[in-house]
Amino acid sequence: MPIPNAVEILLVEDNPHDAELTLRALRKRRLANSVLHVKDGEEAIHWLFGIGTYADRDINHKPKLVLLDLKLPKIDGLEVLRKLRTHEETKLIPVVILTSSREEQDVVESYRLGVNSFIVKPVNFDNFSEAVALAGHYWLLINQEPK
Amino acid sequence: MSAESQTEDQSTEGEHPRYSEGHYQLLFEHNPLPMWVYDPATLRFLTVNEAAIRHYGYSRKEFLEMTLKDIRPKEDIPALLADVKTNRSTPTVTSVWRHRKKNGALIDVEITSHEFQFGEKKAKLVLAKDITEHLRAEGQVCQLNEELEERVSVRTAELTAANKELEAFSYSVSHDLRAPLRAIIGYSHLILEEYAVRLDAEGQRLLNVISSEALRMSQLIDDLLMFSRLSRQRVELTDIDMTPLALSAFQGLITAHSVPAPQLNIKTLPPARGDSTMLRQVFVNLLDNAIKFSSLRKDAAIEVGGSCDQNQNVYYVKDNGVGFDEKYSARLFGVFQRLHTDEEFAGTGVGLALVQRIILRLGGTVWAESKLGKGATFYFAIPAKKAS
Repeated sequence: MPIPNAVEILLVEDNPHDAELTLRALRKRRLANSVLHVKDGEEAIHWLFGIGTYADRDINHKPKLVLLDLKLPKIDGLEVLRKLRTHEETKLIPVVILTSSREEQDVVESYRLGVNSFIVKPVNFDNFSEAVALAGHYWLLINQEPK
Repeated sequence: MSAESQTEDQSTEGEHPRYSEGHYQLLFEHNPLPMWVYDPATLRFLTVNEAAIRHYGYSRKEFLEMTLKDIRPKEDIPALLADVKTNRSTPTVTSVWRHRKKNGALIDVEITSHEFQFGEKKAKLVLAKDITEHLRAEGQVCQLNEELEERVSVRTAELTAANKELEAFSYSVSHDLRAPLRAIIGYSHLILEEYAVRLDAEGQRLLNVISSEALRMSQLIDDLLMFSRLSRQRVELTDIDMTPLALSAFQGLITAHSVPAPQLNIKTLPPARGDSTMLRQVFVNLLDNAIKFSSLRKDAAIEVGGSCDQNQNVYYVKDNGVGFDEKYSARLFGVFQRLHTDEEFAGTGVGLALVQRIILRLGGTVWAESKLGKGATFYFAIPAKKAS
């Protein structure tokens, strides 16, 4: 696990296989060194807001990207997104939804809550790797964040 | 005869013939509705007509020995007394009361009473209309309406619940069924990538079969979800220019297909009134088939055309591909029904079923003509655009 403060990508994913495939796709593009993988919405919120087991974390260090699944144990992805967007200090963190769902209602709701991008995980591995790598590459290396 | 009619007579004298007292007597006596005159001070009946005697069952003699209180149920008497007091000086009053006939039967009556000069006495002239049957029928209609409304709301709730359940079901299918497939394909891929040196060609082929079958299953899931979603989706009617719609569906397909683009001959199509998302899907599916089943020919050609009359617009998509044997045409539009093996032409068997479902929802029909090896033509007809 990377040192928490150096985290650039927070991967919120409960399915271990999807997480492994995601991490491998990021690794191929050398984007995996600074990824923290959490397995449910509660842990994501604890880390992002520096509470619970992450009480010692310096929350001034913000990730460059949150890769967020929608169907998650305890607190679901939309709720995590809502929390992030309602707090001043986390409002601007880029969030990309990475989910199996192509239900229109999820897409609409995510955008309504202020998601930066919505990606349906392709079933095909090549497409999946490509989608994850592109998102990681874009948000970490191309996107200009506010100072 | 009455105070009111006397005034009337005076004011209209010379314009209308004057009715004698006898005329009014006749109107009173032979009126089909029960009528009587009573003394507001004692509530005694002063005179009653034939209809009252017939309807209430009392003889004239009995009536004249009774007061208004005697034809009311006991519990209504206080209300009667209060009413007589307040309405003593009101010229005309209409109200609904309960009366008791001689045989004890309770009836609902609409009472109209007027102030009236009876000889020397100030009296009231009453007209009683029995509305018991009317109220009963009205009550029955109300009750039936209530029952009907209740039944409708129960059915609506049932339908809404069933729809919700179906939505929840396809939601969880779309979420949960894809994840294992992604793992199967992904991990097969990882083996092929990272353990290629330890696998011979046959081992690699077997892994590829696993992968491609999982991919096919994912396509089946997608198609089925689309099928179920389109069945639930609301139809939104707009005016549609069908020519560019068909053209853009074709262009979207040839960029997705790996086969060389067939020649397309698209005629000017009659404009339609329909749901543009749905009709686009119809063209996508029909053209996708046309491209697929003519892909073995070098001179593959597709024609799209249409015509219209007063009642309907007919459109067709025609190809010069492998065609089908018309004896199987009944199976063409069934879900998961295929006339070709996957080795010949890939597919899930949902495309034409979806076309049929959409066209049926738009109030139209679909059919197809073909000869084996001689191409196929698929038609769909939708109700004509009504001139507004």
